[in-house]
Amino acid sequence: MDELAARDTWLNRVHPLAKLLVTLACISVTVSFSKYNLVGLLVMAVYPASLFILNELSFPDALRRLRVVLPLVCMVGLFNPFFDREPAASFGSFTVTYGMISMVTLMMKGILAVLSSYLLVASTGIESLCYALRRLHVPAILGTQILLTCRYISLLLAEADRIVQAYSLRAPRQKGVHFKVWGSLAGQLLLRSMDRANEVYESMSLRGFTGEFYDHPKNAFQWKDAWYLILWLLLIAAARYFWR
Amino acid sequence: MSHIHITLKDVSFGYEKNKNILTNISFTAREQESVGLIGANGAGKSTLLKLLVGLLPGYQGSVEIMDTAVKKETLPWIRERTGYVFQDSDSQLFMSTAYEDIAFAPRNYGLPADEVERRTARALDLTRITHLRDKQIYKMSGGEKKLVSIATILSMSPDIILMDEPSIALDPKNRRNLIQILNQFTHLKIIASHDLDLILDTCQRTILLSRGNIVADGPTAEILKNQKLLEQHDLELPLSLLGRPQT
Repeated sequence: MDELAARDTWLNRVHPLAKLLVTLACISVTVSFSKYNLVGLLVMAVYPASLFILNELSFPDALRRLRVVLPLVCMVGLFNPFFDREPAASFGSFTVTYGMISMVTLMMKGILAVLSSYLLVASTGIESLCYALRRLHVPAILGTQILLTCRYISLLLAEADRIVQAYSLRAPRQKGVHFKVWGSLAGQLLLRSMDRANEVYESMSLRGFTGEFYDHPKNAFQWKDAWYLILWLLLIAAARYFWR
Repeated sequence: MSHIHITLKDVSFGYEKNKNILTNISFTAREQESVGLIGANGAGKSTLLKLLVGLLPGYQGSVEIMDTAVKKETLPWIRERTGYVFQDSDSQLFMSTAYEDIAFAPRNYGLPADEVERRTARALDLTRITHLRDKQIYKMSGGEKKLVSIATILSMSPDIILMDEPSIALDPKNRRNLIQILNQFTHLKIIASHDLDLILDTCQRTILLSRGNIVADGPTAEILKNQKLLEQHDLELPLSLLGRPQT
């Protein structure tokens, strides 16, 4: 994700505040559609679709990165067809119920929200995103928590990778990690990642960190950023108005 | 006494009660001096460096950086003037790119954007890694990470530089490059290392620690040529003094 955010594309160059506001507006409007408004949600899909195309981002790559989150999002409305069986339309012997429609809309809302967030992070980077949050007067502690959590996750993953590698090299015939050692590996992972996290914290505090990240934006908010913001806000508002 | 100096008087420290890692350590290091800290594993080198920047509270005796005692209230002042390079670069570097990591300290000290830019560019230049400016940290080699680690403290414009095993995991070329870079710094430096050849090439003075005690303190060439002294304390002559090629 850091690599995607570091690319020099037109979307990456847009001020983080403009991108954050557009994403928030998009997600808010998306979730505000009624649970049977499938057409409105299809129109809202134009936002992520156009950004994927215009910013030359790989959609399959996004699906691969989001493969853990998307199934969870899709499970949200899974039981709606069982609870709401009122027929909405019939195609021959097949009856489409309102429960089926609401299941699809709930899934779409989740998917669109996740894809919009993905586009924001992939084109902005976590540091710039936290800078934008501070510009919106979000408490500094929240931005710091987001940044530290991101750092901790990467440490945790790196340590997990090392432990699993060391295990697999000494248990070559074992497929995966045997359940008998899950406990001890999880304990090791926790202890080692905490040690590493502590060292990182020491390194930060030795360089003046007192609980808040400071970041100077690479570019000031310019007219092109304002146009980006205004254009998308108008389009999103129009989608909400005409397909309510 | 010169303005920039470190003074330790009768310093003792242990992680557990009644089990000292350091015992009655006393020495003074002065401006522009480059001091090597050597000793076998567990001698207390890293512990001593951590005491100097206040990472280990609860020591006995007196630790002063430029006449200021190392204690909780003075840590911000001391840390602004003292750069500490960790043994493991992965623990030192935590931002996404070299630039972001090097700019971290100046930004935290509230410097304006143009000064942050100037200091970052200078640190990159001094460590000869301007080409790595926007490179992702996780894509760097061990040698590149080490140089970025050094640049992260140079951007603080410190008076004192402390280094814990700076040559660890470096290949011969990167190691030689590191020695050249260290030799161009005029800061007061304390370098803790097992790499006695590096100490020989970069430090005029050496302190030999053994089981938490200072057993020798003097000119590097004198101490590192003393085979008997080194062997008594589980060390060996530097490879260059044995006439063997350095690795």
